[in-house]
Amino acid sequence: MAIIKVKNLSKTFKVKLKEKGLKGSLKSIVKPRYKTIHAVKNISFEVDKGEMIAFIGPNGAGKSTTIKMLTGILYPDKGDIKVLDINPKYERKTLAYNIGTVFGQKEQLWTHLTPYDNFKFFGAIYDIPESRVESKIKELSMLFELEEFINTPVRNLSLGQRIRCEIVASLIHEPKILFLDEPTIGLDPVVKGNIRTLIKRMNKEFKTTIFLTSHDVSDIEKLCKRVIIINNGKIVLDDDMTNLKYNYLNKKIVEAKMKEKVNLDDEDGITIIKDKGYNLKIEVDTKKRSVADAIKLLNPDNIIDINISNVPLEEIISSIYKERDVK
Amino acid sequence: MRKYLFIYKSELMSNLQYVFNVFAGFIGYFILMVIFLNLWKYVYSNPDEIINGYSMNQMIWYVIVTEILWSSLSGRSFCNKISEDVRSGNIAYNINKPYNYILYSLMSHLGSRTICFIMYVIFGMLVGFIFLGSFPTLSILSIIAVLISSIFAFIISTLLITFIGLFSFVIEDSAPFYWVYSKLILVLGTIFPIEYFPKFIRPILTFSPIYVVSYGPAKLFVDFSWNNFIFIFIAQIIYIIIAYMLCFVTYKKGVKKLNVNGG
Repeated sequence: MAIIKVKNLSKTFKVKLKEKGLKGSLKSIVKPRYKTIHAVKNISFEVDKGEMIAFIGPNGAGKSTTIKMLTGILYPDKGDIKVLDINPKYERKTLAYNIGTVFGQKEQLWTHLTPYDNFKFFGAIYDIPESRVESKIKELSMLFELEEFINTPVRNLSLGQRIRCEIVASLIHEPKILFLDEPTIGLDPVVKGNIRTLIKRMNKEFKTTIFLTSHDVSDIEKLCKRVIIINNGKIVLDDDMTNLKYNYLNKKIVEAKMKEKVNLDDEDGITIIKDKGYNLKIEVDTKKRSVADAIKLLNPDNIIDINISNVPLEEIISSIYKERDVK
Repeated sequence: MRKYLFIYKSELMSNLQYVFNVFAGFIGYFILMVIFLNLWKYVYSNPDEIINGYSMNQMIWYVIVTEILWSSLSGRSFCNKISEDVRSGNIAYNINKPYNYILYSLMSHLGSRTICFIMYVIFGMLVGFIFLGSFPTLSILSIIAVLISSIFAFIISTLLITFIGLFSFVIEDSAPFYWVYSKLILVLGTIFPIEYFPKFIRPILTFSPIYVVSYGPAKLFVDFSWNNFIFIFIAQIIYIIIAYMLCFVTYKKGVKKLNVNGG
């Protein structure tokens, strides 16, 4: 059952233009000029209950604008949004009680207070009875392993600890959907992994639907089953992660260490990425040539060591950005 | 209501670490009081003289009270905060929370200034007592009435400054408007009581915010009467409603055309 329904959604911004220098500044006061930016252009999609969806795109693609329209922060110009059958444009407050938001770049916690006081504060904001708040804090602090620093002022926490607290603060009122806007920004790989595990656990335990935006491909790869890619305000891909990999992973990277030098040239389906005489790195398009063909070309008896790998997802996604951009 | 009390409480707790910053403000306050003490001593040829209905002691207490209200308000930084929130789009992150933004900023500002207000009251009373050797005669009930009137004055000031800050939705920088407002309050409401101004200006001042944010509580402190209290109290209630409505309408209209930086 779809709990987020977006149909033909569009949003434009009017940005004031200013010419260079003092003259330009004066001119913009007398006769201001504006430029219209189409941040989101006619997009439609649906998200089912309990899904973990990645909503990704390069900077300025329109993903944050979309998330802000879904959460009632921005008013759309055109189109329909229904989140839990609530229209964010007209019923912001009702929606607020049912969703949680974490913006990685914007802290919502009170930095001088402890996480515990912060959670109590959010409990009060969402009108949750005192006793319920206490038990929820206990439950979430166990799940997110906060016991150690729950009474330390937020300003003294590490970034990773703070993000964990941010997520817990947005879960106090048991939202049905959690919007995570770049939750792992600025975190080191170990902490990122930790946060991902916790998000997964939360999705499993509470069946919370998760709408995630991130620049970190491994976030998406490890967390989400479905991915929507947005670029220049348009949806360029809406597919299952497995489909994405299947369709785009027809290229393999073959790295080989050779006994003797091999003279190999680009052929149909084979691209040489690196040739250092005894060390070779080639890309094989399996739609045109099989990996076995490529190995035959290298002469198996001549190979000391070989590594065959997929093209990193990061590269696939950036190629989708570029490819669809050209179209 | 519980959520707004929590906002107040959280801001109060947050600001406990800034207690010592208030002491720096005391220096400026003290210098100002010394200047006024000398000024009024110079103006009044003898301390029992009455000018425009005020004795010298009353005049000094008047400035002490209006300055307590103004100094502990910290209006400029509050106005900048609101204005910056609007300009940067930060205000957006308050929109998807289930509270009323105007009441949120009101309670949060009251919470952040409570400790400062209490400390200024203690310091101001101490300065007055050291300079003048006595307090104005007030009963317990009238002290409570003055306190209520002061809190209402604080609420109105906060709402009016919120309104000025929210002006950033219309024009980019609301600082010039705050500058004009603060100077009007300083000249027309802090230094001299309304009775000191020419007759034709007095009705304008009586209906202006100056009457409810500055003159009212100070007048009650130096020359208390229940008649005055009731009159000031009603005026303050009317002003709270007006100021709230102004904020509400500006905010409602503003968020509709909100642009958020970075998306």
